[in-house]
Amino acid sequence: MVKIYVVDNGGQWTHREWRTLKYLDVDTKIVSNTTSFKELDEEKINGLVLSGGAPRIGLKSELGNCAEYLEKADFPIMGICAGHQFMARYYGGEAKPSKVPEFGKVELRLLKEGDSLFEGVPKKSIVWESHNDEVTLLPKDFEQLAKSEDCEIQAMRHKKKPVYGLQFHPEVEHTEYGAQIFKNFVKICEK
Amino acid sequence: MFDAENFIEETVEKIKEEVPGRTLIAFSGGVDSTVCAALVNKAIGDQLIAVNVDTGYMRKNEPETIKKLMKEMELNYRFIDASDKYYKALKGVRDPEKKRKIIGELFIRLFEKVADDEKIEYLVQGTIAPDWIESGGELRDTIKSHHNVGGLPENMNLKLVEPLRDLYKDEVRKVARVLKLSVSEKQPFPGPGLAIRILGEATPKRTEIVREACDIVEKEIEIAAEKENMELPWQYFAVLLPTKSVGVHGDKRAYGAVIAVRAVQSIDAMTCSFSNIPANVIDRISNRITNTLGDEINRVVYDVTNKPPGTVEWE
Repeated sequence: MVKIYVVDNGGQWTHREWRTLKYLDVDTKIVSNTTSFKELDEEKINGLVLSGGAPRIGLKSELGNCAEYLEKADFPIMGICAGHQFMARYYGGEAKPSKVPEFGKVELRLLKEGDSLFEGVPKKSIVWESHNDEVTLLPKDFEQLAKSEDCEIQAMRHKKKPVYGLQFHPEVEHTEYGAQIFKNFVKICEK
Repeated sequence: MFDAENFIEETVEKIKEEVPGRTLIAFSGGVDSTVCAALVNKAIGDQLIAVNVDTGYMRKNEPETIKKLMKEMELNYRFIDASDKYYKALKGVRDPEKKRKIIGELFIRLFEKVADDEKIEYLVQGTIAPDWIESGGELRDTIKSHHNVGGLPENMNLKLVEPLRDLYKDEVRKVARVLKLSVSEKQPFPGPGLAIRILGEATPKRTEIVREACDIVEKEIEIAAEKENMELPWQYFAVLLPTKSVGVHGDKRAYGAVIAVRAVQSIDAMTCSFSNIPANVIDRISNRITNTLGDEINRVVYDVTNKPPGTVEWE
């Protein structure tokens, strides 16, 4: 059984990430973002989800021990919302308050077909959002995978590692292909 | 996927270990507390006492329906009419968070009294995931203090048992169906009741208005859904707004309050989209509300906000 933990950054939907993974028969657990990398590593996990949360990544640059996870992990990581924004800052990009914050229903447009995280997801689909900040500068080791009308960087991935960032929320019911994206992430973690 | 049978088996075993003796359950007659009562009943039988509180902020005929349900389930129950206490406690209170906290604390004080009289240490609550998620704490922001989590007083003597903490409503319903409970498809109703559907002060008079409006919305939507005019929303109700607007009644100026109609589709209450109510249904709702509550209400609006950015209830 593949083991993927969810790092709780204080999101409203952290527990939904846990539920989505559980429904995919993943061995999963929610852990506080103050957990050390050593503790996570000792559990022999195959992947990590960095949840969203209330902290304003556009205004400050700390998010528990997330920097340590990004520095030391050799397993796949998927950052969501605040997790994604923090990831961008960590790798040298930028996150700032959104000109047009998005809440609720948004149309996601994929820019690149064939990435394994978006396998089976059509070029245009409905996703659900809830953010005040966003990634405004892509880190140089990353490529952009998706955008929306009001937010340029909706999804990104590291060019060499299975490290992904998503601004939208694949864990909620109203995101059309959310469960599919999680299924794809589980597959990436199984490799 | 979620395996309801497995959940029932595991939970009943866990309750047997966790609850060694007599226990209270806060019983509202909704899906969550009814499922909880059925599970604890399976585990410890007549050691369980169900307590239902009439806060005065219940929907039309609700106290009677709940008594019937408690009898039907053969629960050992106590019914407390505390409406006067609640009205008094909420007098002059307008802030939604204050309302929720006052209501939450009063619930506990009433339960503690029963527990004292009956020498009981444990309180079972039908808390589900959105209740503690939205109540916040530590890193998580407080969206609203659910009466059974964020509304709990700091000093309470009862030990809490919450068997449904990790479940969402759709999963609780699955458990309810397996347990063959009559309430399995009942729409959610918040613990603080109509008090949080009255923006501003929740006086007895304003409660009567929103109670009537909620009843009209529920009935009309249920009739329409039965006739296959529309899909039954996940939750549907009326909210009394604290603003007044001008109208005309029989050639005379009217100046009355506004009712907002809210209906949403959801699976788990964590994201919702507003329901598409057919125009003829919303027309009938509007007419019935303004005709029935003519002296008080002369305007009806429909809430077209998703969650996020809105929440289901207005407070």
